[in-house]
Amino acid sequence: MSDYGHELWFGSFITPTARPPQVPVELALTSERAGLDLVSFQDHPYQSAFQDTWTLMSYVAARTERIRITGNVLSLPLRPPAVLARAAASLDRLTGGRVELGIGAGAFWDGIVAMGGRRLEPAQAVRAVEEAVDVIRGLWATDETGPLRVTGEFYTVNGAKRGPAPAHRIPIRIGAYKPRMLRLTGKIADGWLPSLGFLPEGPASLRAMNEQIDEAASAAGREPAAVSRLLNLSGRFTSGAGGGLLQGTPGDWAEQIADLALQYGVSGFILASDEPADLNLFGHEVAPRARELVQSERVT
Amino acid sequence: MNYGHALRFGLHLPSDADCGPGRLVEVAGLAEQWGLDLLVVPAGTAGDDLEPSTVASWIAAATVSPGLVLEARPATLHPAMLARAVASLDRLTEGRVELAFRGGPPTAASGTADSVAALGEEIAVVRELWNVLDRGLGRFTGRFYRLAGAEKAAPAHDVPISVDGQGQDLLRLVGLRADEWSTGCDAVTLTQGNRAVDEAARGAGRDPREIRRRITIRGGFGERTGRFTGTAADWVNDLLPLVVEHGVGTIVLDAVERDVAAGFASEVAPALRAAADAVLPRGWSGARVRRSAVRARRLPGIDYEGAPPEMAEVVEPGDPAYARLRSGYLRGGAPGIILRAATNEQVTQALAFARRHPGVALSRRSAGHGVSGRSTNDGGIVIDVSLMNAIEVLDRKTRRVRIGPGARWAEVAAALEPYGWALSSGDYGGVGVGGLATAGGIGYLARGHGLTIDRLRAVEMVLADGSVVRADDSENPDLFWAVRGAGANFGIVTAFEFEADDVGAVAFARLTQDAGDLERYLVEWGRAVEDSPRDLTSFVIVAPPRGGRPALAVSRTMVDSSDPETVRARLEPLAAISKVYAQDIVITSYAAAMDNASDDPPVSHGEPVSRSGLLRHVTPQFAAAAARVIRSGAIGWFQLRSVGGAVADVPADATAYAHRDATFSLVVMGGADEVVDRAWARLSPFLDGLYISFESSLRPERIAAAWPPRTLSRLRELKSVYDPEGVFGDNFALTPAANHPGGSTP
Repeated sequence: MSDYGHELWFGSFITPTARPPQVPVELALTSERAGLDLVSFQDHPYQSAFQDTWTLMSYVAARTERIRITGNVLSLPLRPPAVLARAAASLDRLTGGRVELGIGAGAFWDGIVAMGGRRLEPAQAVRAVEEAVDVIRGLWATDETGPLRVTGEFYTVNGAKRGPAPAHRIPIRIGAYKPRMLRLTGKIADGWLPSLGFLPEGPASLRAMNEQIDEAASAAGREPAAVSRLLNLSGRFTSGAGGGLLQGTPGDWAEQIADLALQYGVSGFILASDEPADLNLFGHEVAPRARELVQSERVT
Repeated sequence: MNYGHALRFGLHLPSDADCGPGRLVEVAGLAEQWGLDLLVVPAGTAGDDLEPSTVASWIAAATVSPGLVLEARPATLHPAMLARAVASLDRLTEGRVELAFRGGPPTAASGTADSVAALGEEIAVVRELWNVLDRGLGRFTGRFYRLAGAEKAAPAHDVPISVDGQGQDLLRLVGLRADEWSTGCDAVTLTQGNRAVDEAARGAGRDPREIRRRITIRGGFGERTGRFTGTAADWVNDLLPLVVEHGVGTIVLDAVERDVAAGFASEVAPALRAAADAVLPRGWSGARVRRSAVRARRLPGIDYEGAPPEMAEVVEPGDPAYARLRSGYLRGGAPGIILRAATNEQVTQALAFARRHPGVALSRRSAGHGVSGRSTNDGGIVIDVSLMNAIEVLDRKTRRVRIGPGARWAEVAAALEPYGWALSSGDYGGVGVGGLATAGGIGYLARGHGLTIDRLRAVEMVLADGSVVRADDSENPDLFWAVRGAGANFGIVTAFEFEADDVGAVAFARLTQDAGDLERYLVEWGRAVEDSPRDLTSFVIVAPPRGGRPALAVSRTMVDSSDPETVRARLEPLAAISKVYAQDIVITSYAAAMDNASDDPPVSHGEPVSRSGLLRHVTPQFAAAAARVIRSGAIGWFQLRSVGGAVADVPADATAYAHRDATFSLVVMGGADEVVDRAWARLSPFLDGLYISFESSLRPERIAAAWPPRTLSRLRELKSVYDPEGVFGDNFALTPAANHPGGSTP
């Protein structure tokens, strides 16, 4: 059992399709109306079938009123951290604090190189994430005196003026699977953002991965609970009895999600779906029921 | 010197971090309300300004009409990412975005040869990633930037790239690569800069008019203390020489005070336009000058400069829109010019342009699906009416609806569904109204409700001579007769009036069945359809055996009923023919069944090869021949559609679609004419007539198969009246009767 006691929240993970471009905007509005807490978009800029994720997020931000918005996860090798920091802070100010930052070290290196990015070895990519987070937090830290100077292996900032400051403390979450990146997540991140489908043994993988994050957090003098645990999900709603994880009625989903929360400490559940009906069931039925279940379990 | 550009007026948005969202929306909203052309989202100079591409995307969602100039600092993003961001925003806003490179405060590095060269590469990378006219992946190798096979993605329109700054190297870059030069408002700078820009442009084979000139000004109203102070008239006096003598076409105000912006937008802008109009020969409403790179792709034989100025859009082979408009659904095209018309007047003008090009192919397009591929061509003119896509209910009581030719049938079905109505169309929602409703329309409700043209009550159309006429049973009845089955020969229909049918919930069945015994399957399918009441209409595609699996029959059947017993009774005979491998039967709406179309632009290559024939019965002899053809692999597509029923209730001479006695419509498609024709020769003995929408052959004898002698003779008489010169000669073109007094050869 590793419940970190975080409030549960629920989000959507929407394909940023460019054909036609208003479809993901509509799905973001659907997510908000369904009562979801967050809408998120993947970021694969080398794919011409997708829109630019940051552009879409900024556009969606102006169309929505309440829902939080994040990349899931942004491809750091193609998004220079200094620009990303200012973009995120700008959008956070424009939305009154609805922006969150999910970042990844980069996945499809051939695509990244094709776009003019630099190919990094796994160990380099981990160090690059750490440097990037330093740059981003450094630029946000307008209460610190003097310009920002970072001299890194991958990113260097020579005395940049800090700011703009975000409207709230933007959480930085990392998409991590391998030990080095999990340790970095424990050391510096506000959250961990993996996808269930990429976990080698499904939810069972979460235990050992959580431990690596927890250990790294403790070693860095942080509370493990300072790193929230999120999970991208996919599944299918059915009307009859369920056939496995997230293959059943909304009631089945709620029980399974409550289980993931109580056993593995997951507090943010993000459903990958472009179907309005799924998003509605997730927001209107699964989310409140799962919250109830976790609440009653934590009380007793 | 003036470059003939239409004057544009813009306003800088604030960029300081403390500017709240409310203030930004307010400024943008006022600019929009005042009718300003542009909102400039500045890159800022403070160092901690709002990030411009974020602000531009955010404000785009909060505004409707003004252009959005996104300022970018060179070397800030990967240029490929900048290209993606701008293309995305341009698509989200349907073409409102411009890109402006603006250097920061002068530093040791800015304006140097290296920084200018890097900016030149940045522009080249952006353009390469947007260039979908040349297929394949984006590549670029420079000193500063590299693209190694990146997927391209085009913006919605030809996004102009503006460059701000001074210095000989930079001005030269503007002359070579930019669409606009942006600078301060100093006359000497303008004179010298224009000279350098124009010289570089001419040296590169560009027309200096391709490059706009933009100034950014500050000022106020009240006491006259210098330039851009005093009254609106004073401002006009200050600005007019910059427009007339220095060719300034874009004027941006960098002031956030509301009264200054208001005076600039509502007093200075109209007065300056009027003043410029009075002194300049072409005034401010100059024609668009295409980039030399665009002009370089023009084809011989087409008078591009003489293209009608009032079109909704004129698309040339070098325009970005060409990539998505050149081809049809099944035919790769390379037309010389695409004239997009949105009104009757524009269709008339487009036709006049086409008539001035007598030797050049003319195609007409509603949505471009046409199986026969007639909606595009190589090197010719396309008149595209896809923008005329309105769907309007005229009278609820008589179910009268008016529909533009560019509407697609999925949209029509969706618009009629709330009324409990439908119009039988075809089997694909992406088909346009214009092509189908001038040929016939063999759809999923055919046996119960007839052809699409059988629900047509009137048309409005543009004839070959450019005149606009209405045709119905009382007005131009001959023409109305001809339009229903041979419409492509007589004009361009710009509005259709239909009487929709009351259609409630329907059953839609998709069955995949064994067709190992092909002959038996075909005969029994035909019998089941013929034996069924008219509320059933069935289409079947037969796929040859492949890789160890038997031949398959994939049928789509609509039953115009939602009563489970009726549906079961109708479908059972079909399901009983052979083993069912997969089935999906739903009670749904006609609109839901039609909601099957892709919105992706077609990227077809080559020529479609399709043959159409009409059939009385699926006899064992026909089935044997068909089975042989299917098994031979000579064709890739074999589909039978049921007709008959209500289609056959209409007398053969009532419309130009005359083959009313057919019970089935056959279409086959394949890769090469010779191969398909050899296979077709086995089938043709059983066929009588054809359906023009599914026939790609241009051989003249197919004309005689399309229309029986009496119909053909009447059509040719009418052709001699309405299109004696054969302007419409691309789609089952009839020879006017007057040219052939004997009247016996088609």
